[in-house]
Amino acid sequence: MVAKRFSRTVIIILLVLAALVSIFPFIWMLANSFMSEDQIFALPLKFWPDKLFRKGMWDNYREVFSNFSFGLYTWNSFLVSFLAALGQIIVCPMAAFAFAKMRFHGRKAIYTLLLMTLMIPVQVIIIPEYYLMMKLGWLNTYLPLIIPSFLAGAFGTFMFISVFEAIPMALFDAAVIDGASAYKILWRVYFPQATASTATLFIIAFMNNWNDLLRPLLYIIKPTLFTVTMGLTRFQNQYTTKWGLILTGSVVSVLPLIVVYIFCQRYIIENQMSSGVKG
Amino acid sequence: MAIKQKYRWHSRLTPWILILPTLIGLVVFRLIPIVSSLVLSFTKWNLITDPKFIGVKNYTELFSDPDFWKILGNTLKITAGYVVGGMVFGLLLALLVNNRIKGMNFFRAAIYMPVITSAVAVGIVWTRILGPKYGILDFLLGKLGITAPYWLQDPNLAIWTVTFVQVWKMSGYYMILFLAGLQAISKEVIEASVVDGATPAQRLFRVTIPMLSPTTFFVLTVAIMDAFKNFELIYAMTKGGPQNATNTLVYSVYLNAFSYNRVGYAEAIAWVLMLVVGILTVFNFYVKKYWAQPLE
Amino acid sequence: MKKTLTIVLVALLAFSAFAQGASEASKEGETITLEWWTWDTGMIEQNQSIIAAYEATHPNVKINNTVIATDGGAYKTQLSVLAQQKALPDVFMLSSGDIEEWASNGLVRNLDDLVASDPEIYDKFYESMFTSLKDVAKTDYLPGFPFAYVSCDLFYNKDAFDAAGLAYPDGTWTWDDFLAAAKALTIDKDGDGQIDQWGYYGYGRYAEAQAWVFSNGGVLTDNVKHTFEPNSGALDAIQFMSDLVNVYKVAPSPKDMSGISYKTIFPNQIAAMFVDGGWFSDDFRKNIGDKFRWGVTRVPVGPQGKAKVTYGWPDSYVISPFTKHAREAWEFTKYIAGEGIGLDQFMAGKMPAYKALVESDEFVDMTQQPYGDMQLFRDHASDTFVTSYTQGWSEWVGYGAAESMGLNGAVDSILNGEATLSEILPSLKLSIDKILARYY
Repeated sequence: MVAKRFSRTVIIILLVLAALVSIFPFIWMLANSFMSEDQIFALPLKFWPDKLFRKGMWDNYREVFSNFSFGLYTWNSFLVSFLAALGQIIVCPMAAFAFAKMRFHGRKAIYTLLLMTLMIPVQVIIIPEYYLMMKLGWLNTYLPLIIPSFLAGAFGTFMFISVFEAIPMALFDAAVIDGASAYKILWRVYFPQATASTATLFIIAFMNNWNDLLRPLLYIIKPTLFTVTMGLTRFQNQYTTKWGLILTGSVVSVLPLIVVYIFCQRYIIENQMSSGVKG
Repeated sequence: MAIKQKYRWHSRLTPWILILPTLIGLVVFRLIPIVSSLVLSFTKWNLITDPKFIGVKNYTELFSDPDFWKILGNTLKITAGYVVGGMVFGLLLALLVNNRIKGMNFFRAAIYMPVITSAVAVGIVWTRILGPKYGILDFLLGKLGITAPYWLQDPNLAIWTVTFVQVWKMSGYYMILFLAGLQAISKEVIEASVVDGATPAQRLFRVTIPMLSPTTFFVLTVAIMDAFKNFELIYAMTKGGPQNATNTLVYSVYLNAFSYNRVGYAEAIAWVLMLVVGILTVFNFYVKKYWAQPLE
Repeated sequence: MKKTLTIVLVALLAFSAFAQGASEASKEGETITLEWWTWDTGMIEQNQSIIAAYEATHPNVKINNTVIATDGGAYKTQLSVLAQQKALPDVFMLSSGDIEEWASNGLVRNLDDLVASDPEIYDKFYESMFTSLKDVAKTDYLPGFPFAYVSCDLFYNKDAFDAAGLAYPDGTWTWDDFLAAAKALTIDKDGDGQIDQWGYYGYGRYAEAQAWVFSNGGVLTDNVKHTFEPNSGALDAIQFMSDLVNVYKVAPSPKDMSGISYKTIFPNQIAAMFVDGGWFSDDFRKNIGDKFRWGVTRVPVGPQGKAKVTYGWPDSYVISPFTKHAREAWEFTKYIAGEGIGLDQFMAGKMPAYKALVESDEFVDMTQQPYGDMQLFRDHASDTFVTSYTQGWSEWVGYGAAESMGLNGAVDSILNGEATLSEILPSLKLSIDKILARYY
C-alpha cells in the first residue's frame, strides 16, 4: 500500500515538473500580452505585466481583434484545419486497413511510395506544387490547403497501420466467421478499437494545418481569407516589429488548438480498452 | 505485416476502393511535384526565367563545396540527438500520463503546449533564456558561480543547443503518439500478467514495451523523418549560424530556393537530403524484423 | 439527431470553404483595371482608402491591390512566378536588391518615354533619386519609380551625452570624434566590473557595417571585373568596427548581445550610439517615447571618406513591361508615390521622393522626437548616395535568412574575435567571387 502511494506521489511530482518545464514559455507569452510595448523588450526582463488588472489590460487583445481581424482569421483557420483533419480521419483508416489486412498487386510498391512522401520537407516540393495549383486554377482558394491534406495522409495511414496491426487476430477471425464484409470489419470492428489513434490523428492533422504558414502565404491573397498564421505576419515587416501584438496574436492562435486538444483527449482514456472478445 | 490467411477473404476490388482517395492524393499532390523537383534538380532556374537544363552540374557543385560536408554532418548530429531525445522523453512522458490521476487532462495539455506554440514564439523565448547577458539561465548559473558557455554562439555547442530546444518542443508530440499506442494494448494481457505476479518493472519491460513495438517502430520512423525537416526553429534562433554551425540540409534548401533564387540547386540539395533519409529509413525497415513484430 | 447535425455542419463548412474562393466578375467596358502589388501588410486598409480616392477622380480606372507578406519569400516567389508567365501586375514594389537582375532579364518597363512626355516630373520629384535608381539597377534607362529614399544614419542618446558632459554630434564628426565620445560614454555605473552602458553597438548587418564602409570611401566590389575587391577604405572600416569591440572596448561583441534583438539595444540604453537605417526614427519614436532624449545625425566620416556621401537606397515601384496600360499605370504610380498620399504613409526617417511632402512643415515635426534633427533627412536630398548592390546581393552580403553567412557572418566573426580580418579575407573573397561569377 505504501509502495502504491509512494509511486503515485512520485508520478505526480514528475508530472508537475514536466508541466512546468513545458508551460513556462506560454505563461511568459501570456504575461507579455498584458504589457505595454516598452515593457516587453525592457532589460532586465520584466515578468509582472504592468497592465494586468489595470486600465488598458486588454488593449493588445482589442487591437488584435478589431484592427487586425483576428476573429475572422481564427474562423478561417478553423475551417481549413477542421476539414483537412476530418478528411484524414476518414481516408487514412480506409487505406491503412487495406494495407494491413488485404493482399493486392502493388501493395508493397504503393506502401513504399507513400512512405517516401513522409520524407519530403515542404520546401522541396512547394515550388512545383505551386505551379500545379496554378494549373489547376486553385490559387486564392482554400483548396490547396485542404485537399492534399485530406487525401494524401501518409502519416495518418501509417499510424493506423501500426494500431491495426496490434489488434488481436481473434477479433478479426470472429468477424470473418460472422460473415462481415470488409467495410463492416473496418468501420465496426477495427475503427472503434482505434479511437485513441483517431483522436490523436485529428489533433495532429488539425495542428499541422493550423500552424502552416508557407502554404497559406503562397495560396491566399484576399485579406478576408487570411488564416491566423498569416495574420501574425501583419505585425512585422522588414523595418518594424510590434512585439506586443505578435505575442498577443500567438496566444490567441494557440487557444483554439488547446480546445481541440482537450476535446480530443476525452477519447484517449488511460488504461481502458475493451478487448471485445467475450468469454 | 505478414498476413496469415492463405486465401483472399475480400473481393479483388475492395482494397482498391479503400485506397483510392489516398492513391489520388499520392499521385497528384505528392508524386507529380516530387518528380518535378527531381527534374528541376538537373536545371538552373531563378524562377523569373525558364529553367535551363544543366545535367549534373548542381550535384557536382554540391559535393565539391566544403560547406556541404559540414552541413551534412550537422544534419546527422541533429538527427541523432533529436531521435534519441524525442523518443526517450516521448515514451517516458506517455508512461507518465497514462495513469488515472485527477486532473490528468491538465497535465497532458500542459506537456503538449510547446508542440502547438509557434516556432517563432518558442525561438524568441529560448533565445532570451539562453542569452549571454540578461539571459535567465546564465543569470541563475551565475548565482551558482558557474560561467555559462555561449549556448547559441559557440560554433561547437550551438547545434546541440538547437537540438535540445527542438526536443523540448516536440517531446509532447511523440508522447501522444506513444500514448495512442499504449491505449491499444489489450488490458487483458496486462491483467493476466498482474495475476501471474509480475512486478511493475517486469510489466513494463516484459509486457508493455514489447507490445508497444509496432508503435515504437512507427515513432522511430517518423522521428527520423521529422529530424531532417526541422527548419523553423533554426530560422527563428540562429539562421544557420554561427559560421554554418547550425546550417542543415533543409535550411540550405530554403536559403537557396527562397533567398538566393537558385531553385535547381536547392532541389539538388533536397534530393541528397531525401537520399540520406531514404537510406536511414530503409535500414530502419530492414532491422525491424529483429525487434518489432506484429503481435500474433 | 446528433448524426444529422454533424452531417449538416460538415456540409455547411465544406460549402463555405469552396464558396469563398469564388472570384469576382470582372468589369467590362471602357474601364481598365490595374493590378497593384505591395508587401506592406500593415497597410491593407490604408491602400483601400488610397484606391478609393484615386478611383473617385479617375472613373475609368479600377485598381486591385494585392498585399503579400515578404515572410518565407512569399511575395517574391509569387511575383517571380508571374514574371516567368509574363503576367506581371501593372505596378508592383520591387526591392533594390532585385532590380538589377530583373532589368537585365527584361522584366521592368523602360520609363524614359513616360518621363519625356511628363515635363514637370522633376519639379515634383527629386531627380537625384531617379538617377540613383539607375545606378542601383545598372541601367542607362529609368527602370522604375522611386517613391522614397532610405539612408543610414547615427542615432545618439542625448541624455547620456549630457551626463558625460559631451557635445552632441553635429553632422561633421570624424571617426576620431566618434571614438572619443564612445570612450567617454562607456561606463560601469555601479562599479561591479560589468559595463552598464556602452558607447556603441553594431554588428555585421548590411545597414550598419556598410554604413561604416561607405563613410570611409570604401568600395566592396569591382563592378567591371565583377569580383570582391574591398579597397583600403572598406578594410579599414571593418577593422575600425572590430577595434571598437576588441581594442578600445567601447562596444560589446555580437556574441554577447545575442538573445537581445539588436533593435532594442539603443532603446534599452545598453549602448549610447547606434548606426542603422534612418527609418529607426519611426521605431524609436514609438518604442522610446519620452523615456530619454535622443537625436539622429550623419554617420561620422572616416579618414578616407568625403562629406555628404551617404549609404542609402531607393524604395521603388516598377511598371510591368507587359502592361497594356502604361500611361494609366504611370499616372497611378505618381499618385501612390507622392501626389495622392500623405506623410503618414511614410515611416519617419524615410525621405519621400515627392518634394512637396519633404518640404512641408510636418516633415520636421517639432512635437515629436527627434524634433529638429529631422532636418537631416531634408539635407540628405542633396547628398551623393552610394550602394553595394549587385546581382546576387542577398547571398554575398548575407541578408535576411542568410544573415549568419556572407559578409555579415564574416564581419560578425571578426567582431567576436573569432578570426582577424586578414585571416578571413581570402576565404571570404573566394566565396563571394564564386557567387558573383554565377551572374556575370
